[in-house]
Amino acid sequence: MRARRADGAHAIPNAGMETFVQSMVSGILTGSLYAMIGIGLTIIFGVMRIINMAHGDMVMLGMYGAFWAHAAWKIDPFLSILIWIPGAFILGGITYRFLLRKIVPGGELNTLLYTAGLSLFIANLALLIWTGDYRTIKLPYAIMPLRPFGIAVPIPLAIAFGMAILVTAGLYWFLVHTDTGRAVRATSQEPEAAALMGVDVERITIVTFALGTALACGAGVLLAPSLYLYPTVGEILVAKCFVIVVLGGLGSVPGAIAGGLLLGVVESLGAVYVSVPYKDGIGFVIFLLVLLFRPSGLFGVGKS
Amino acid sequence: MKLFSLIALVVLFLAVPWIIPVPFFLHLIIMVLMWTVLGAAWNILGGFAGQVSFGHATFLGAGAYTTMILYLKLGVAPWFGMVAGGVVAALIALPIGFICFRLRGPYFALSTLAVAEIVRLVALNWESLTAGPVGLLITTLPDVSFRGHPIDWESKTPFYYMAVVIALAAVLATAIMSRTRMGAYLLAIREDIDSAEAIGINTVQARVSALSLSAFLAGVAGGFYAMYLRYIDPDAVFAISLSVEMVFIAVVGGLTTVFGPLIGAIFLVTLGETFREHFLVGHLIFYGAFMMVAIRYMPEGIWGKLRLLMSPQR
Repeated sequence: MRARRADGAHAIPNAGMETFVQSMVSGILTGSLYAMIGIGLTIIFGVMRIINMAHGDMVMLGMYGAFWAHAAWKIDPFLSILIWIPGAFILGGITYRFLLRKIVPGGELNTLLYTAGLSLFIANLALLIWTGDYRTIKLPYAIMPLRPFGIAVPIPLAIAFGMAILVTAGLYWFLVHTDTGRAVRATSQEPEAAALMGVDVERITIVTFALGTALACGAGVLLAPSLYLYPTVGEILVAKCFVIVVLGGLGSVPGAIAGGLLLGVVESLGAVYVSVPYKDGIGFVIFLLVLLFRPSGLFGVGKS
Repeated sequence: MKLFSLIALVVLFLAVPWIIPVPFFLHLIIMVLMWTVLGAAWNILGGFAGQVSFGHATFLGAGAYTTMILYLKLGVAPWFGMVAGGVVAALIALPIGFICFRLRGPYFALSTLAVAEIVRLVALNWESLTAGPVGLLITTLPDVSFRGHPIDWESKTPFYYMAVVIALAAVLATAIMSRTRMGAYLLAIREDIDSAEAIGINTVQARVSALSLSAFLAGVAGGFYAMYLRYIDPDAVFAISLSVEMVFIAVVGGLTTVFGPLIGAIFLVTLGETFREHFLVGHLIFYGAFMMVAIRYMPEGIWGKLRLLMSPQR
């Protein structure tokens, strides 16, 4: 993923404290969005036991949604989230109901292959419609970064961070305090027991897939002003999602939040202290190590 | 009768460049044959052994880079380089196998994806060896003569014959492997790895051997790819999408069958390349669509389905 860096940071050996704080901050800002994507993937995994390879393409759709809302309707990309989150919720529900419902009982590997097909289909449809050109959203308020305490904070990323916290908090509230949310968690923990307690597992599954899709798409909307957009961006994003959820333990929402922040910080610090070209590789190395030595995640809360 | 049809088939294959001298069709057939090799390579691991890999581009890329580097730096002719590419890919497969085979099912698939991405980044940044994103280019291929006629590398004919030989070798390798003890071990592993282990199959060794054979074939195909296109860069040979294409060709054609990858390649590559002639992008849309259709309606693949329909004791 090629990030546009407003601060122009490059790998500087022997950089001082300021650089460290700077890269921590940008890591956490990006990490909050990674966390949002990761939560979507992890709740889908928790309830359905499937690895959704098309999750990154949902992020891509969100990015293009924000782009077109800005380009065609002159809507601020951050406001367009109000359209795209409900839109993605419906899209996710439809996707599950008409494409995935018959596949999921066929087993994890079949679903993995099927969603890989779906991912390729969506990405190539996007290529046909929107071409492979790299696009950017130019916002008038994105030129100068904020400088609290001498640390450069790009404004779009700061807004995205704030909104990601709001969305995540909203989701948390939903999962903890509403009946549907409790049913989602119950199904995730023990689907058969949940069904016996009167939970409509089929409905909960649709709701969960729709929610996961909405989160991915929403994160895409928030990311759009800070990244280059191109139709196959999902390929790399989905690989990052796996890193995030495996770090935190598959199926665990707090784990996904921690994993997202951790990956953001690791990438950001890696770009400064290891090397810019290998920054995307650090995540994958950690991913392999965690898969091999701590398959239940770094925090031991997930189920493997 | 069987011998006669075999001879007829061989004659037909030899005569193809004369029957249809249209470059696009020859290109299409070459691509189909190359993807047959890649699909067959993936099928040995993903079909027979049931270990779904999303990282086979690693071996394709290793083969392609080995062939190119040997030719550019040491002057080794690409057709020998191709075999060396296969060997290098098989060697790379060993450590990957010992790491990734500790994981099962979807976790194995994700780990191969991660390894492939790491390898791609290394290829992109190890500039002294791979020239990084600039890529490697060969302008001329070595002069050789066949029965006194110098081979014309500008035409597609010599590549066609090479592709036929490699594809034949890949299909034969699959057929032979499926009849050996090794093939039976792999099927046992696919069905139930714990039981396979319990009856005394060394599952790690069997899976690593399958991966090495698979990597060898993918590496040879990669070497051929490099020689045919004469230009490679990390994103052209290590891309995730290449790994995914191999999976799809094998699955749509028919997993765990000898001819499935050939059928899958004929079907998908023809559609894809024809589409690419008219639209520049998005030709993989068919791969995605047919993958979904195949998993939903015929998980045994096109060839598997045909075989079921043709078998008399249905």
